[in-house]
Amino acid sequence: MINTTLYLRGMKGSLRLLAVLGAVITMYVTIIISMYDPELMATLDGFVELMPELMAAVGMDAGANNLLEFMISYLYGFILLIFPMLFAILRGNGLVAKSAEDGSMASLVAAPVRRTTIALTQAAVLVSGTVILLVYATAVELVSIAVMFPGEVAPGDLLQVNGALFCLQFFIGGICLLASCVFSDTRYSLGFGAGLPVLAYVLNMLANVGGDAEKAKYFTFFTLFDPSGIAAGETAARAGAGILLGAGILLYALAVAVFDRKDLFI
Amino acid sequence: MDAISTKGLTRDYGGGKGIFDLTFSVGEGETFGFLGPNGAGKTTTIRHLMGFLRPRAGSCAIGGRDCWRERENIQRDLGYIPGEISFFNDMTGAEFLRFLAGYRGQKPVRQKELLDRFELDPRGGIKKMSKGMKQKLGIVAAFQHDPAVLILDEPTSGLDPLMQNRFVELLREETARGKTILLSSHMFEEVERTCQRVGIIRAGRLAAVDSVEALRKRHLRSYTVTLDTPERAESFARDFGGQQDGCRVTVTARQSLEEIFLHYYGGGEHD
Repeated sequence: MINTTLYLRGMKGSLRLLAVLGAVITMYVTIIISMYDPELMATLDGFVELMPELMAAVGMDAGANNLLEFMISYLYGFILLIFPMLFAILRGNGLVAKSAEDGSMASLVAAPVRRTTIALTQAAVLVSGTVILLVYATAVELVSIAVMFPGEVAPGDLLQVNGALFCLQFFIGGICLLASCVFSDTRYSLGFGAGLPVLAYVLNMLANVGGDAEKAKYFTFFTLFDPSGIAAGETAARAGAGILLGAGILLYALAVAVFDRKDLFI
Repeated sequence: MDAISTKGLTRDYGGGKGIFDLTFSVGEGETFGFLGPNGAGKTTTIRHLMGFLRPRAGSCAIGGRDCWRERENIQRDLGYIPGEISFFNDMTGAEFLRFLAGYRGQKPVRQKELLDRFELDPRGGIKKMSKGMKQKLGIVAAFQHDPAVLILDEPTSGLDPLMQNRFVELLREETARGKTILLSSHMFEEVERTCQRVGIIRAGRLAAVDSVEALRKRHLRSYTVTLDTPERAESFARDFGGQQDGCRVTVTARQSLEEIFLHYYGGGEHD
């Protein structure tokens, strides 16, 4: 199904980006969690009162009354959406389109390895990186909570929220890999692979502001990721995550099929 | 059975570019020269043979297998040197060769011998390698698993004359070992020195296919000169390698493949 040698090379290629993003996530997650203080909440809520649109745009609402809700407001609206997404965009583009463009793909296809195996291997590299990033973020969250606010968040609830986050990031990775397989020109593969998720995120920001702009939520897949709903055990939120996962699988399958059939000018 | 064959292979890029109704075959154990100027369609043909491109009309096969549908099976016993070498720039040459062996799942049985033969030290980073070094690395990569069929797209570009000679020697040895070779080139000398048959491609169409010998013969010119005395005729025949018949001497001049080439291309028109 996958080629081990190619997989290891791909993982090695992800290492540096994972380290950088991991460091950024460590910093933000620990700082945000350390900022949790029911008294300080008032200060943050003060910001929300001062500039409600801006704070809402990045997913920060007032009135979080426990640590998990606080984390959902301040981590799951921006940091944990953007940084794993950045990984998917950069690696998704690099794993297929870039080597098709610079010709190094020739060494991969001029070998007794099926094209579907090549594409599936690159998909595995992409998904593995996302998993590593989210497992790491979960670990940082759990350790921070255990050190600073032991017992404040039920680990099971946090895992469910992060599971849904994985579904979202998996779906975004599918978009990036599909763009990378469809276009051999990195201008277009990056244009679509980065453009679509970023556009969806901007629409999500708009929708968060509320008012008339709330209608934007019907045009962005980020709406399907509802961490508060997951934490509250809502069925609709779980269904949204399930849709993202299913659609993600479809995107990856499509990417593999496209790569198997495409003409390679290398 | 033909080792390599194309039947009516067509790929129209528009504007007269592409390949059109290309039909030729290379027998098992044969070394076939694929001659043509830049942009004639050599690389496009090779991309079809390699299974990179799907034929829009016609078909091509290697070892009786369809080049598009059974590409990964064909690749098991195939070595390829791309026309434009581009390897992983983040690796050293040695890492790349090791990667290829692991990725292909084939032992690089000839790697050391080839590195020695082409005096290549693969420990340096590929990014910093010269064009010639990358070309040598490409040769080692194509031959190290000792494949039965070799598809070589302008394999000596970037090599100095000494290394070009070593490469020609390698090809001759491989031919003697029964390998099937398709060698694309725009250099006649290379093809003349290594190939048994030549296909000349022009503007995407096959202009001629013949043995190197027959191509030469077809372009043999004879001149008969009459001299004053048989004695003078004899010395003339000796000096110019002619056939003497009394006072008449017949001399022949072979055109080089270069000239034959120009004949097919109508005076250096390179498109």
